[in-house]
Amino acid sequence: MADEIRRLSDDLARDPSSLAFMPLADALRRAGQLDVALRVALRGLDRHPYLADAHDVLARIHADRGDLERAADEWEMALRLNHAHGPARLGLGFIDFRRGNLESAEQRLAAASGDDDDGSVAAALAHVRSALHARTECHGSEGDAARTPPSEPARRQTTPVSWLTPVSPPKIIEYPTPDPSKARDVFANVLDAADQTALLVDADGLILAGGYIDANGQDVADIVAAELAGVGGEAERAMRHLGLGAWTSMLVEADRSIVAMSPAPLGSLVVVGAARQTPVGLVRLLLDRAVTRARDWLGRVA
Amino acid sequence: MANPTGAPGRTPYAEVLAGLARHRGVLGSFVVSERDGLAVDANAQIGVHAEAVAALAASLHRKARLACGAAGCGTVTFLRLDAERGGICAAGRDDLVLVTISEARANIGLLRVEMMRAVKALT
Repeated sequence: MADEIRRLSDDLARDPSSLAFMPLADALRRAGQLDVALRVALRGLDRHPYLADAHDVLARIHADRGDLERAADEWEMALRLNHAHGPARLGLGFIDFRRGNLESAEQRLAAASGDDDDGSVAAALAHVRSALHARTECHGSEGDAARTPPSEPARRQTTPVSWLTPVSPPKIIEYPTPDPSKARDVFANVLDAADQTALLVDADGLILAGGYIDANGQDVADIVAAELAGVGGEAERAMRHLGLGAWTSMLVEADRSIVAMSPAPLGSLVVVGAARQTPVGLVRLLLDRAVTRARDWLGRVA
Repeated sequence: MANPTGAPGRTPYAEVLAGLARHRGVLGSFVVSERDGLAVDANAQIGVHAEAVAALAASLHRKARLACGAAGCGTVTFLRLDAERGGICAAGRDDLVLVTISEARANIGLLRVEMMRAVKALT
């Protein structure tokens, strides 16, 4: 395992834009190095956000970390990118099973059975059906056996089907997707300092996610959203007339702040603000990160 | 190079504009009135529509200035709009805006420094 990780790390170091991040992240996951695996997967997804397999790898890492909510998000993203993605169906079936939604788990696994190369889906399906059968027979204690979660850490396994082995108490994180109360914090992990702020605005100048705190600590997100939506429209008009192609970003330096913005999916606009002393190049980097995050978030909620 | 608005040296900005237009990838440089969107002076390659650039850049700068004012960001000092095949830079002072239009191969860092220096001469 260590040799495999070393080899894959070398491959990725030689070509950071390669797809070696996927097997590397998965190998790190299986080796139990979940934090490193998470970093590798997220960095890879920054470069390749539309790879279903990459979202599958990230989902497995989240699942191993016990964050089933995020794991489900990533598997759902993988399915959006590839409707026939078997591992994603298997993963979502696993999530349903862990939550006690046996009927839904059975449906997902049955749908994935067409791509069952190694028999893992069939095994999982048999397990779920067995749990369903047991629940039907035991009215009083229905679902108890089925909901029994795995004890062996999933990180040792390579496919979600092995996670179905029932043993220890579950730690299931349950909150709805998407959670509107979390929309404000969507960009929290892409910003580097307290004087940086990011906002996602829809085509009508209404806030979708994030916030905008000015130099005085006031939340001026509504004003900024309304004003800057017009700037985005102006940028689009200017570039169309000048024949320079679609606009990709705009950066405005002002006395007290630097504001950068970029178009995002569904006609939305990502806005990043930073204190004036922030290096201009760093603001552009933050903008790139915020756009990637916004795309990911919109892909889940839109 | 051609000056669509008249012969070089007609305004006090001609030398500044010529200096900016010599940068790699720069298609044209302009001094524009933000209030009415008219070009005060221009130094642009043939085929660049100075009037259109002036009007659009002025409008963009005005919008950005108003938005930044509303957001408490202060006075706009420099604006860069990037597109797939190039972009626009603008630096304003009072009602005048110094504008360059460039291809993607332009060195924006260098252009920015020179524009920030040149805009101080706008009166």
